[in-house]
Amino acid sequence: MGLFSSLIRRKFKNVAGKRYERILKEYKEFLLTEEEMVLPEIKSILMPLDRFINEVPAEVYDTLSAYKEAKILLVYIIDAQVFHMIEHTLGRKASEDFRKNEERYGMTLLEKIASTFEELDMSTQLRLFFGDKSEDVIKLSEKHDMLVLSKAYGSEITKTHPLSPIVLKIVQHVDIPIIIY
Amino acid sequence: MNQEAIAIAVFLFTYGLVVSERIHRAVAAMLGASVILFLRIVPWEKVPEYLDLDTLFLLMGMMIIVNTARNSGLFEYVAIKTAKLARGSPIRVLLLFSVVTAIVSSVLDNVTTVLLLTPMLIYISRLMDLNPIPFLLSEIFASNIGGTATLIGDPPNIMIGSAANLSFNEFLVNMGPIAAVDLIATILIIYFAYNNALKVTPKKKVMIKQTLRGLNEKAAIRDIRLFRKSIAIIVFVVALFFFHDKLGIEPAVVALLGASLILLWTREDPEGIFEKIEWPALFFFGGLFIIVGALEETGTIAKVAEWVLTHVHTQGQALLAITWFSAFSSAIVDNIPLTAAMIPLIKHMSTSMDIYPLWWALSLGACLGGNGTAIGASANVVVIGIAEREGIRITFGDFLKVGMVIMVITVAIGVGILWIRYIGW
Repeated sequence: MGLFSSLIRRKFKNVAGKRYERILKEYKEFLLTEEEMVLPEIKSILMPLDRFINEVPAEVYDTLSAYKEAKILLVYIIDAQVFHMIEHTLGRKASEDFRKNEERYGMTLLEKIASTFEELDMSTQLRLFFGDKSEDVIKLSEKHDMLVLSKAYGSEITKTHPLSPIVLKIVQHVDIPIIIY
Repeated sequence: MNQEAIAIAVFLFTYGLVVSERIHRAVAAMLGASVILFLRIVPWEKVPEYLDLDTLFLLMGMMIIVNTARNSGLFEYVAIKTAKLARGSPIRVLLLFSVVTAIVSSVLDNVTTVLLLTPMLIYISRLMDLNPIPFLLSEIFASNIGGTATLIGDPPNIMIGSAANLSFNEFLVNMGPIAAVDLIATILIIYFAYNNALKVTPKKKVMIKQTLRGLNEKAAIRDIRLFRKSIAIIVFVVALFFFHDKLGIEPAVVALLGASLILLWTREDPEGIFEKIEWPALFFFGGLFIIVGALEETGTIAKVAEWVLTHVHTQGQALLAITWFSAFSSAIVDNIPLTAAMIPLIKHMSTSMDIYPLWWALSLGACLGGNGTAIGASANVVVIGIAEREGIRITFGDFLKVGMVIMVITVAIGVGILWIRYIGW
């Protein structure tokens, strides 16, 4: 049977050559892939935030409003490593000031975004904690159906690069659908 | 070693290389032809006599037309339109794709047809969440059956038409009804053989219809002006084939005229189109004509014909022998070299009987014999190859079980029709 299989493969290569590859490429322009054919069911959405995000564009609210039934978890993550570095280098007072500023900014941002979602009749949960901006998001995403990320999440580097390295790392490790704004 | 023995050795060696596919069949044929010419078994002056230019130019002209039309997205449009017409019903998919494949194959070459329709068929069977094998098998058989129907449908028919001076209409009248009955029989066999695998739930059907509705066949059209012009030229060429014998022009001239007109009218880059001509196929044909010419030149064909005539005495016996021999041989080896060898043999038989029905017997066996095994025809190899790349395994044994049944039944139907028409009750 192996003899015939290899014979068929050789014949296919000789008869169809690269023509099939070209045809397939042309088809892919208007046919959905197998994964795209199945619409994922979205029941919970994870939306990480931090101090590099000032606001969420209106298009993101529009897109997410299509998932009315989904619960949105808004998480503001304060970089624990940065907090400890400030504490070790600038002292406890400076680190406490950093914590207070972060918590104040974080809560304001979370409440602002949550109120917009409430106007769209979508339920939200808010969390603010110290942690690792990439590892904690990757871990949390395992319990959610969709991840919504800002290009600037975790870094100001987007002034010179299209995506922050934290976003790149998360994208490489997460299996669920991601919306990047 | 005498020239006859060398010619036979080159013929068999080339056949072996073509069957094994260890080297490209075009290279094998060119190598054999080069040896024949180098040893002067066929003198250089006689090359134009053996090189069947009618076949070569007809193939070339049709390749130019098809490749120009392909740039417009015409064939993808047909595939999507067919899928949408099926409206999520497996039976309709089986029926429509088989009929469309047969019709397109009767005008264009089978490989191009299945190359363009198979990705769509796999997509739609996956959408229906059904085993794609019955649909793919049906497409293969329909392609080979459709090719049998016309002069331009399959290379053996082109070769037979050129050698015996048979017109497009003669092919349509003699082979068309056989192809139509065979297609119906094949679809019924596939339907009953895979009945349980052709069912979807009503809920699933609604979902499939919705997804198919989302497909936009117009999005497949890459150039609307080229699309319209291509359809016009294909219709014109097919219409001209109906009248070529009345106008006294060869089918090859019709194809070349169509090729020139489509290039002139569409202003497509001729260099790009000429590059897409399947030169390996044309060199394969050219090489084979020389190798078989060597068998004629050395008298081998005449001797085989004499031997055949000592065993086959009547037209009926010849009809049966040629049909079944060419059918079973085509199931194992390429039908092009087989037809190339059978044509001079049948011509030699004209000394003792009317060979007109024998051309149809050869066409029937050579074209439909390809359905017998997975390697019997190029369309089989292409569909099985595509399926394998998409993770669908059709083994040689799996194909043989269905293919042999289809081949025997369709050839038997064809023989029956030819027998009634030419031999009588």
